[in-house]
Amino acid sequence: MNAIETSKLTKFYGTSRGIVDVDMTVNEGEIYGFIGPNGAGKSTTIRTLLGLIYATSGSATIFGKDVIKSGPEIRQEIGYLPSEVFYYDDMRAIDLLKYSASFYNKDQKVIGTRIKHLAELLDLDLKKKIDDLSYGNKKKVGIIQGLAHEPKLIILDEPTGGLDPLIQQQFFHLLKEENAKGATILFSSHILGEVQKLCDRVAIIKDGTIVKVEQIKTLLENSTKRFKLELVNTPDASAFDIDGVGDLAIANHSVSFLYRGRVNDITKILAEQDLIDFLVEEPDLEEIFMHYYQKEDVQ
Amino acid sequence: MNIYLREMKAHRKGLIWWCVGMAALVASGMAKYDAYQAAGVSVQEMLAGLPKAVLTVFGMTGFDLTKASGFYGVLFLYIGLMAAIHSALLGAHLISKEERDRTSEFLYSKPVSRSSALTSKLLAGLTMVVILNAATLLSSFYFVNLFGKGESVSADILVLMAGLLLLQLIFFAIGAVVASIVRKPKAAPSIATSVMFLAFLTSYLVNMSESLDFLKYLSPFKYFDAATLMADGQLDPVYVALSVAIVALAAAGTYRLYSGRDLSV
Amino acid sequence: MNVFLRELSAYRKSTIIWCASLSAILIVFMALYPAFTTDVAATKQVLSQFPEALRTALNISLANFFTIYGFYGYLLGFALLAGAIQAMNVGTGIISKEVSGKTADFLLSKPMTRTRVVSAKLAAALTIIVITNVVFCVVSYLATLMAATETFAAGTLFLLASTMFLVQLVFLALGAFFAVLIPKIKSVIAVSMPTVFTLYIIGTLGDVLGNDKVRYLSPFKFYDTNYIIRNVSLEGKFIAIETAFIVVAIAASYVIYIKKDVRASA
Repeated sequence: MNAIETSKLTKFYGTSRGIVDVDMTVNEGEIYGFIGPNGAGKSTTIRTLLGLIYATSGSATIFGKDVIKSGPEIRQEIGYLPSEVFYYDDMRAIDLLKYSASFYNKDQKVIGTRIKHLAELLDLDLKKKIDDLSYGNKKKVGIIQGLAHEPKLIILDEPTGGLDPLIQQQFFHLLKEENAKGATILFSSHILGEVQKLCDRVAIIKDGTIVKVEQIKTLLENSTKRFKLELVNTPDASAFDIDGVGDLAIANHSVSFLYRGRVNDITKILAEQDLIDFLVEEPDLEEIFMHYYQKEDVQ
Repeated sequence: MNIYLREMKAHRKGLIWWCVGMAALVASGMAKYDAYQAAGVSVQEMLAGLPKAVLTVFGMTGFDLTKASGFYGVLFLYIGLMAAIHSALLGAHLISKEERDRTSEFLYSKPVSRSSALTSKLLAGLTMVVILNAATLLSSFYFVNLFGKGESVSADILVLMAGLLLLQLIFFAIGAVVASIVRKPKAAPSIATSVMFLAFLTSYLVNMSESLDFLKYLSPFKYFDAATLMADGQLDPVYVALSVAIVALAAAGTYRLYSGRDLSV
Repeated sequence: MNVFLRELSAYRKSTIIWCASLSAILIVFMALYPAFTTDVAATKQVLSQFPEALRTALNISLANFFTIYGFYGYLLGFALLAGAIQAMNVGTGIISKEVSGKTADFLLSKPMTRTRVVSAKLAAALTIIVITNVVFCVVSYLATLMAATETFAAGTLFLLASTMFLVQLVFLALGAFFAVLIPKIKSVIAVSMPTVFTLYIIGTLGDVLGNDKVRYLSPFKFYDTNYIIRNVSLEGKFIAIETAFIVVAIAASYVIYIKKDVRASA
């Protein structure tokens, strides 16, 4: 059975477009990434799946049940971590987590133990008041309330914002553990690197529609990097005229370009240059898309 | 239910303050009765000769101020006003604060339906409204007896408190339905209290002029007019029915509208 | 100044609504004036038989009560209530935004002293109140003109209308003071409404039940209608009290706000 299945899911906020005709299928047990620039429709899709907003047209099912009709039932098995976390300021972290646990028809003691275990792992003081927690710590509360009840489907909307790198690693480790136990994960982000690290498949969403669904392996092979070189002498443009190089910009002592292809091919060229310094970056998603789609359109 | 308990806990402090405030209102009002007694004048006969409009200015349409019950009747308008504010704000807040504080993402992504969450919240609100009513009832009994010089006022107080309860329920329901309609959570309490204020104003207008009598159906404050209630010794069935209708309609509206709309983020 | 202008623009819609509401109160009440004066002679007869003590307790001055001024004074009771809510909403709301939370982080990290921030905001609040009162005075005059059955002195009317301005100033100051005292105000109206109504009830109850001391407690009773009508002036004593209160409240607000930690919005 599919964990998530949407059919022509469409949401308009008045006249402005949220998502249009989104067809998405997430298999049980996979880690499915969802990437796109800001405003592409990631959060809209997720909030529709959770029943927080209602689709203008189209339908969605989770574990075979309609998200509107069987909403509360489905959500017994969902853990959700939103991008911005807000909780009841007057509660302590432990109170909020116990309150969260009370909604699930599972053994409260078991969840309670898990809450404590996760808090230790993520280094969170449960006795602190929500009001007194920093943003990153609130996010930790969010992670725990999303995972403590061991849901079959974990939905994450830009989850790593605000977490320091060490905690991020812990978090990914936790997710992989859950996945190993059979949980399905829907992971939305605009940070390509994270998606690449964790996901099996990824859907690229832009302007409200899903433009591509790829296996991660394919995306990696096709991944674009931005190279910025500082050279001793004025560079020769022809040296960089190989397949996969795009957006080439040459100045007196510097070169910048996007490259997609075999890494060895480009490093051979770099080795022949008189370099002072060079920088390899992951371009932001906009750049990838522009480059990606330009090529597609040309073809 | 967990949501019910959480709402009760979150509102605990505020409710205590409101109960204390109400008790203080009753106490200070009745304490004046002592002082007023000293004037020793039979106002009743003199007031009888004045046109309605003028009586309203004194705020004492139809009361015998030489009696403790008459005094309490004057006080009742203000008790009703404060209770109405509390109820309207409570109704509006219970519904709108999840979106105002952005905790709606947390709560409604839990395995709970909108209507079941609503039920818990409304029940919590109902409990609080009843508690405030009880506090008012108890302090009324206590202070009217304390200052009332042995007069038997219990029956009057009971019927007034019954009316108060219905008044509270009406504004509570209005507060809730306003919050379900209005998309901006911060606007909901303002609009709810504006409705209440309008009703209050209307009740005064009705008191002032005979020709505006038809407006009395528009103001819940007129349904439970102290003088009338004490004179009749019971609630007017027409107004009771009207109250029930308003509350039922508003409640149904709340469920329908809140369950069917997008949650603001 | 940018803060000043921005606040004015932010409150534009609400100010318009309040001006309209106050005007509506004026017009509706004034329209009832004819009904009120139908039986003046008979009523005066009845009232003159009330013992002096009672008449004082009920605050009836035979000379003034049935004039248009007296009626306006009565209407003022309601209008002041509404105006007080508006003033306290503005006072509390405009300051509490910058006491904690995201907007506070934004504004207070700009190159502007906290003193200037508060001053700009209070100036904007004051402007809003002034605008409201200009409208109130104009509509008062026009409504009274249309309803009056006899000629009246505009001066006395405007003096009565000026109490709106004075009372609003008190609530503005009170609102600002509350805003710096209470750390996180999530709902301005939950603070302003109960406060205004409590002070209103204290004033009105005291009036009805004959207690002079409430005049010092309730801003609504600072300015007595009869006194104004009789003497065509305001009681200096209360203007002094009000000024003292406003100065203390505002000064305290400045001091507290400048020394406060601004809580992180997290």
